[in-house]
Amino acid sequence: MASFIDCNGATATAAALIPKSKAKSQPQPITQSEILAEFAHHDPTVARINNGSFGSCPASIIAAQQRHQLLFLRQPDYFYFNTLKPSILKTRRLIQSLINADHIEEVSIVDNATTAAAVVLQHTTWSFFSADFHPGDAVILLHYAYGAVKKSVQAYVSRAGGHIIEVHLPFPLTSNSEVISEFRKALELGKSNGRKIRLAVIDHITSMPCVVIPVKELVTMCRDEGVDRIFVDGAHAIGNVAIDVKNIGADFYTSNLHKWLFCPPSAAFLYCKSDSLSELHHPVVSHEYGNGLAMESSWTGTRDYSAQLVLPEVMEFIARFEGGIEGIMLKNHGAVVEMAEMLVKAWGTELGAPPEMCASMAMVGLPTCLGINSDEDALKLRAHLRECFKVEVPIYYKAPVGGEIERITAYARISHQVYNVVEDYYRFRDAVNKLVEDGFTCACLG
Amino acid sequence: MPMDPPAVPQDQEDPRAATNGDNLTTRLSKKPKLSSITESQIREEFAHHQPGVARINNGSFGSCPASIIAAQKSWQLRFLSQPDDFFFNHLQPQIAHSRSIIKDLINADHVDEVSIVDNATTAAAIVLQHVGWAFAEGRFQKGDAVVMLHCAFQAVKKSIEAYVTRAGGSVIVVHLPFPVNSNEDIIAEFRKGLARGKANGKKVRLAIIDHITSMPCVVIPAPELVRICREEGVERVFVDAAHAIGSVRVDVKEIGADFYVSNLHKWFFCPPSVAFLYCRKSPLSPDLHHPVVSHEYGNGLAIESAWIGTRDYSAQLVIPKALEFINRFEGGLEGIRNRNHDKVVEMGKMLADAWGTSLGSPPEMCPSMAMVGLPSKLGVLSDEDASCLRSHMRDHFGVEVPVHCQVPRDGEIGATDKDGCVTGYVRISHQVYNTLNDYIRLRDAITQLLHDGVTCKMLPQDS
Repeated sequence: MASFIDCNGATATAAALIPKSKAKSQPQPITQSEILAEFAHHDPTVARINNGSFGSCPASIIAAQQRHQLLFLRQPDYFYFNTLKPSILKTRRLIQSLINADHIEEVSIVDNATTAAAVVLQHTTWSFFSADFHPGDAVILLHYAYGAVKKSVQAYVSRAGGHIIEVHLPFPLTSNSEVISEFRKALELGKSNGRKIRLAVIDHITSMPCVVIPVKELVTMCRDEGVDRIFVDGAHAIGNVAIDVKNIGADFYTSNLHKWLFCPPSAAFLYCKSDSLSELHHPVVSHEYGNGLAMESSWTGTRDYSAQLVLPEVMEFIARFEGGIEGIMLKNHGAVVEMAEMLVKAWGTELGAPPEMCASMAMVGLPTCLGINSDEDALKLRAHLRECFKVEVPIYYKAPVGGEIERITAYARISHQVYNVVEDYYRFRDAVNKLVEDGFTCACLG
Repeated sequence: MPMDPPAVPQDQEDPRAATNGDNLTTRLSKKPKLSSITESQIREEFAHHQPGVARINNGSFGSCPASIIAAQKSWQLRFLSQPDDFFFNHLQPQIAHSRSIIKDLINADHVDEVSIVDNATTAAAIVLQHVGWAFAEGRFQKGDAVVMLHCAFQAVKKSIEAYVTRAGGSVIVVHLPFPVNSNEDIIAEFRKGLARGKANGKKVRLAIIDHITSMPCVVIPAPELVRICREEGVERVFVDAAHAIGSVRVDVKEIGADFYVSNLHKWFFCPPSVAFLYCRKSPLSPDLHHPVVSHEYGNGLAIESAWIGTRDYSAQLVIPKALEFINRFEGGLEGIRNRNHDKVVEMGKMLADAWGTSLGSPPEMCPSMAMVGLPSKLGVLSDEDASCLRSHMRDHFGVEVPVHCQVPRDGEIGATDKDGCVTGYVRISHQVYNTLNDYIRLRDAITQLLHDGVTCKMLPQDS
């Protein structure tokens, strides 16, 4: 009997949450035309190769969400007193099982990774304020950390007197060992004048440029070097790579459910190891303040919580795919690497990182002649591709380091999700070829 | 084109003399539509409400008409269809449009003063986190005080604990009378309470005043209390007006507070959830930040609040549609407010007469909600009793109404009925979808309980 398989091989807990009538075996996996029907609400004129930024949500999940929304609108008091909390608990149990957390209290549901970062970082502010931390104590993060997280570090750590250490990673990259050695150097340097490192913020999959980071090794290194606490920002991770929070060993771990796990905008989980739990609070304080982060997060005033309630339906959706979530991840990875190699071959460029450092996204070098020489150029080119070619793909500008003259100054971050078809990437290939042919440079754009 | 006779009595000019300049044109543009929304259209708009439930608690979670839900879905779909294009080209202009509509509605001077956030709870976190920073950064000293009402909303009390008490601030709690007879009672008590709290030379950094208290529900004379705060040297005033917009007139300049928040999903027909936070611009305006920090950090609260990571912002985008919906009613927002108020007072009096009790406040202190005394024989003697009664009303009678327990303070008598002290009140709401039958069902449910000799202690306990 084909059974629901999650990325840790656990079946029992999750299966128990699927309505009995649907738990029986699915003899036929979802077909290509069923997939296209599930994503028929995507703009059909657009080659949508940017699942990484905003994610995607199948029609049957949107419908499930609307059912939950209607339940609230229909009789909100009943929903609030009887339905909401048990529904959030269901989602938390599914996540607990998916990520291999020990205790249900360790799993909270918040809006997105940005909110999770605020939760973790606000705690460091209180630590500085209460003199647990001292002025000059440090937080270490990657130079490629997500922009919003860097702002949060500025707002909560720098402002409170903390010192920031940014780890510069090379890009393009050839292997994990480059990441590991740069991180080790930065840690040693950071500690060299007796500075205490209070928190490390490590991306599981960096956003731009996009690379899978060897988090387990970095977490172990941080522990060995006496870093107080480690927060892994896995915004892209769930549905992209396997997540075993115990194996990774971080104190805090967050991932968005709406990026690669088919939830509607927006929901994320924040995992917090038991021994650090009591320190964290949701910044939007409501009735549940003091009852634990998970309880606090489950009520932050009257809001639409429906995106947090559809994970059971999402697991049903995923179970329709051969191999479940693991099958989806493998297929996405295989397809994005294949498409990336097709593109670099067509353009005479290179990948930004080897396939083993890619998940469902890949960084594909753009031809130098396009003249992408700044972040603004990259944004303008992205808009131009959207408007004139109906290709949606984010572009990363890679500034030359030191006196280097880089051959490739920009990379496109292509994604592959279940709705993508090979024509999406051909359209991108042909668009760039046309630009090259026409002698286009970013200087042409206003 | 034929014109209906004006609905507003003071419009004396002949509406057919349409060429006579600006004044007349302006007045004409304020005339009601040729046909206002009908009763059956209203029923359709709220047909998704659970039939069979006497829904007299609009105050807690609000309500949203079907046409606004449809408009919201349309925005949600636009994002899902092409999120990048939506993010880069449409989201910010639409939020700006919503903000400018609110600015006009509340009589703010600058659109910069208007931020849109999820709800009043979030707004409280924004204002109070700022207070926390002030303590941390030495602008406030340990022991400096924040003033709040005893009946402040529980979430706000917790926020004060989380950001003020934790940071070393002290809290002055002002008790307001309930039942209450007049604004003067409120004003006198507030003045006393504030003076007492400041007695040992405490510096009061912030006062948090409800415009309409939640439980028990009373309209507070906010402009007067704000003035008292200024006179007493309170540095800043934050008016928590969660219920206000759509149930009382809101003029932020008249009220004169530094910060003012109201939920749009309660009485302004928006879907869950959306609120505005007004922050008066002045040379000494403090630097507020949204606690969920994203790319726009440092670009002003309104811009920060317009992007706090990938989320569904659609509830913020239908504010123009909500205003259109409101304008289908005779008299627009003001007409809805007045009719809701008149109806809820009428129903409140009907219930009080039937039960032999009274209203908790005079009609002029009721917004679109009223506190109606419950017969003393029911024995609502604690918050648990109130909660059990509310659940029983829902589960057994299909009546949704919140119940409040108000035990008189030492030395006070409070209200009485022929059998003893009235300590329980229901907070009835009236919104455009309510009908007489809703309140009759409430009346009869309570009468039934009395008839059966039921007291709260006998009811199934809430788990």
